[in-house]
Amino acid sequence: MKLPAAWRRWPSAGLGGWPGASLGGWRLSSRIAALSLLLLLVVQAAGFFVIRAGIERNARAQLANQLVVGERIWGRLLDQRATKFGQGAALLAADYGFREAVGSGDMGTIGSALDNHGARIGATMSALLDTNMSVRSVAQAEGPALLPTLAPLAPRLTERGSAVALVGHKPYQFVMVPMRSPLLVGWVVMGFELDRALVDDLFAVSGLHATLVAQASGRPSEVLLSSLPPQLPAAALADGDGEVPLGDEPHLVRSVAVSADQQARVVLRLAGSVDDAVAPYRALQVTLAALTLIGLLLFGVGSVWTARRVTRPLGALVLASNRLGQGDYDTPVEHTDRADEIGELAKAFEHMRVNIAEHAGEIRQLAYWDKLTGLPNRVQFRDAVLSAIERADPARDHLAVVMLDLDRFKHVNDVLGYASGDRLLQGVAARLQQVVRDGDLVARLGGDEFALLLPTADAALAQGVASRIAAAFEAPLTLDDQTVDLSAGLGIACWPEHAGEADALLSRAEVAMYAAKRRTAGAQLYEPSLDNGSAFTLSLLSDLRRAIENDELRLYLQPKVAVADGTLCGAEALARWQHPTRGLVPPMDFIPFAEQTGFIRQITLWMFDRAAREQPALAVLGVQRLSINLSTRDLLDLDLPDKLDLILLRHRARAEGFCLEITESAIMDDPQRAAATLNRLSQRGFMLSIDDFGTGYSSLAYLKQLPVNELKIDKSFVMAMEREPGDAKIVRSTIDLAHNLGLTVVAEGVENAAILERLQGLGCDEAQGYHLSKPLPAADFAAWALTWSGRLSVSSIPAIDAIHPRIH
Amino acid sequence: MRLLSRRFTLASAVPMALLAAASAAPAGPVEVRVSDAAGRPLAGAVVFLESREAHDAVRPAQGIEIAQAGKQFVPQVTVVPVGSAVSFPNRDTVRHHVYSFSPVKKFEIKLYVGTPASPVVFDQPGIAVLGCNIHDQMAAWVVIVDTPWSGQTGADGRHGWPRIPPGDYRLRTWHPSLPVGAVPADQALHVDAGPAQASVRLTGLTP
Repeated sequence: MKLPAAWRRWPSAGLGGWPGASLGGWRLSSRIAALSLLLLLVVQAAGFFVIRAGIERNARAQLANQLVVGERIWGRLLDQRATKFGQGAALLAADYGFREAVGSGDMGTIGSALDNHGARIGATMSALLDTNMSVRSVAQAEGPALLPTLAPLAPRLTERGSAVALVGHKPYQFVMVPMRSPLLVGWVVMGFELDRALVDDLFAVSGLHATLVAQASGRPSEVLLSSLPPQLPAAALADGDGEVPLGDEPHLVRSVAVSADQQARVVLRLAGSVDDAVAPYRALQVTLAALTLIGLLLFGVGSVWTARRVTRPLGALVLASNRLGQGDYDTPVEHTDRADEIGELAKAFEHMRVNIAEHAGEIRQLAYWDKLTGLPNRVQFRDAVLSAIERADPARDHLAVVMLDLDRFKHVNDVLGYASGDRLLQGVAARLQQVVRDGDLVARLGGDEFALLLPTADAALAQGVASRIAAAFEAPLTLDDQTVDLSAGLGIACWPEHAGEADALLSRAEVAMYAAKRRTAGAQLYEPSLDNGSAFTLSLLSDLRRAIENDELRLYLQPKVAVADGTLCGAEALARWQHPTRGLVPPMDFIPFAEQTGFIRQITLWMFDRAAREQPALAVLGVQRLSINLSTRDLLDLDLPDKLDLILLRHRARAEGFCLEITESAIMDDPQRAAATLNRLSQRGFMLSIDDFGTGYSSLAYLKQLPVNELKIDKSFVMAMEREPGDAKIVRSTIDLAHNLGLTVVAEGVENAAILERLQGLGCDEAQGYHLSKPLPAADFAAWALTWSGRLSVSSIPAIDAIHPRIH
Repeated sequence: MRLLSRRFTLASAVPMALLAAASAAPAGPVEVRVSDAAGRPLAGAVVFLESREAHDAVRPAQGIEIAQAGKQFVPQVTVVPVGSAVSFPNRDTVRHHVYSFSPVKKFEIKLYVGTPASPVVFDQPGIAVLGCNIHDQMAAWVVIVDTPWSGQTGADGRHGWPRIPPGDYRLRTWHPSLPVGAVPADQALHVDAGPAQASVRLTGLTP
C-alpha cells in the first residue's frame, strides 16, 4: 500500500495523523502501543480461555459433588421421615391401651386405634402384624391395597425399620416398629406416600431438583414426581442420567436407587443445572473482563504516553537533522539534557552539528580561498565582482578588472620543480598586494592566473595599476639561488563600458589578457576587436557536436590533376559546415578549434566515411586516390587503423584508393607513436602523404624512415614562387629531393597557369589549386570531371594546352 | 432380659417335700434331662408332670413373691401351682406398673410403691408374661402348673424328682426362650416303681 507522503515524513505526521491500515506506515508510538496492547490482549485472552475451561471443569466437578451431597441429603431426609413416622408408629405400639387391646385380641379396638393413630401422623396405611408377619389388622382407605407389598418388604423393614416401595404408580415409604408387651407380640407398620413436599424439601436444602422415577419390569420408565418446575420437562429424566438437557439448559443428573425391589424399582434422579453452577464464575469472569478492559485502557494510555515520550524527542531530532540538511548549523539540538538513550542520541546529534558546522567552515575556507597564496580564489573573486556590480550605479560608478597570466610559468615549474613554482606564485601574490590600493581585491584564479578587482577605477586608473604591476615585475624574483624574470600578460576590462555583468566582464578581461600575451604587449585594455569570434567559438563546440548528429557537415572535393598530361588523378576531401544560422562555415573557422578540442577525430571519421562511400564512383571518373587529412589527434589514436578498417569494410572500399595526409607538425608531436600508426596504416595499403611540407622542422633523414609515398609542397611556397626566387628554389629542390627519395610530389595552391607551367617544367607530379578547381560539393564533382575530360579530349593536344586554357 | 435365674424358690420345693412325705404309695425318682436343638444341656427350662392324679394332688402355694428390684423382676421365671396367690413387692424406690395381657391371667397393678394390698391369684394353668408399663425392659414369666411336680433345670439341664408315684404322665417342658404364646412341649412319661428318666429336646428357642 502506498501511503500518503505526509505519513512517511516525521515532521508532517502531527498528532492528528492517525495511521492507516498498514502497520508499516504507523508512527512508532502507535506501533509500540499497538504491540504492547496486542501482547496484553493475547495474554489476557489466553488467561480467559484457561480460566473459562477451568471454571467449566470446576463447576462440573463441584456440581457432581453437590449431587453426591444431594444424595446424602436425600438419605437424611428419608431417614428423618422414617424416624418421624417410626416414632409415631412406636408411640402407637407402646400405647398401653393399644397393647391391652392387642393382648386381649380386641380387633375392633385395634382397628380403630390404628386408624386414629395413622390419621394423626398422616399415614396412608397402618397395619398390625403378628410376629410371623401376617396381618392382623389394617387401617386407612388405601391400606388394603398396600398390603401385598408388605410381605416382600418385611425382611428389610425388620432390619432397617423403613423402606421405600412402588405400589401401583405411587412411591411409598414404609416404617415398621416392634410391639412388645413386654415381649415382642407383633409389628406396627405404617406407609406414607412420598409426595412433592419431600422433593421440594430436597430442592430447598440442596438446590438440586429431585425426580422420582419408577422402573417397573414390563413397563416403561415413568416419572412419579418431580421438583422441576413445569417448564422443565421431567420426562427427560425417565430414562437416563449423566448430562441431560432440560429445556435449553444442560443438567448433570445422578441416579440414586431408592427401593431395592428389582421388580419395581424407584430411582431418584438428582439434577443440577450446569449453568447455575457456572453462573457465579461467569459473573467473576465478567468482572475479570471488565478489569481487563480497564487494564487495556490504562495500558494503552500508558504505552502511548511512554511511546510519545520516546518519539516526541525523536521528532525534535528529525527537525534538527532537517535543519542540518538545510545548512542551518546554528540552532542547538534539544533534549541533550536527558539521561536516557534519547539524550545520548541528541548529544550525538549535537556533536554532529558542531562538527558539521566546523567542517562547513573549513569547506567554505577551501571554497573561497586559495590555500597556497592565502588570496581569495576564483569563486570569491567572482562573488566580489558580482556584489561590486550590484552595489554600483552604472551611470556614475566605474570598476575595473585586471587579469594577469604569468609567462613561462610552466617552464619554471618544469625546470625548477613545483616547490619553486609555488614559491614563485607566492612571490607574485606578495608583489601584487604591494601594488594595489586599499579596497582593491587581489585573487588567484588558478594556475598562474591572477586577477585584481579595482572598485571605482576607470580605464585610465586601471591602466595605471597595470603599469605599476609591470614595474613591480621588473625586478627579478629570487628563488633560492635562482633568479627568475617575471613577466605577465595583463588584460583590463572596465565596467560598465566593456560589459554589463560580472561574467562577461571577467571574460573580456581574459580576452584582453590573451591578446596581451599574444602580442607580448604587457597590458592590454579590452576592445571589441580583440573579441572577434570569441563568443562565436564559445558556442562552436556545442554546435559542432550537433553538426554531425544533424548531418550539417558537407563533403567537398578538390580535384588533383597530373601535371604531365592534365588528367584527373585524385581529389582531396575537405569538410564544409552548413550551419543552420551562420550559413556555410569555412574550414579555417572550425577545424583549428576542432583540433584543439579533440573533436577533430569525429570529423576525420565522418569524412573518411563519406569519402569511402564516394570512392568507388570517383574511381570510375579517374580519381585513383582520395586524399584525407589526419590531425595530430588522429595519429595519436592507436585505434584509428581499426576504425578505418571498419569503414572500408562497410563501403567495400579499398585502402589503396586513399591517401592519408599528415602535417609535419602532427608527426613531430610524438614521432614514435605517429610512426607506429603510420606503419600500421601503410601496411593496410593506405598511401601516406606529408602535408604542408616545408613549414615544419622535420628532418629529411627522419622522413625517410617513414612509410611515406608523397610530399605535398605547402601552398605558401607554390603561390609565392612566381614572385620570390627563393620560394621557387625551395619548390624546385623539394621536387628534386622528393623524386630522389622516390616520393611523388604534389603542389597545392596552384592559382594560375603560370605556376602550373613552371611546375610542369620542374617535373612536379600532381597539382591542386583554384586554377584547376576550387573545392566542389561532392555532388558537383562528376559534372566537373566530365567537363574537364571533355575539354582535354577536344583539345587533343598535349595536356599542357588543355591545362592552360587561359594561355590560349 | 431373657436370662434365666437359676435360683429356686421355696414355693416349689416345700409342697413337693410335703407330698412325698405324706404319700405312702410306692414312688420312684424321676430325672428329666433337657437339651436345646443342638443337644446342649438347657438350663432354666421349666419341666412339670401332668396327669389326672397330679391335677387332683395340686394345692395352691403360699407366700410367693415376684419382687421388683433394680428395675427387674426377681425371679424372672416363677413356677406356681394353679390357684396360688403371688404378691409383687416393690423394692425399688421408683414406682412400677405391673401388668399382664396374657389370657391365663390379665391384671394390672397400677403405679405403686411397696407391696400392693392384695396379691394376684393365678387360677388357670398357663403362662403369664408380666411387664411393667413404665420400664419396658422388665419382663417376667409366671408358669402356672396344674400339678404338684414341677421344677427348673439346672446348669446341667437336669431336673429330678425323688419320688413320683407310678403312673402315666405328660412331661411338659417350657423355656422363656420359646416364642410368646408357645405351648410347652409335651411328651408321655411312664413312671414305675423304679427310677425313671426322660430326656427332652426343646426346639424353637429364639436365640
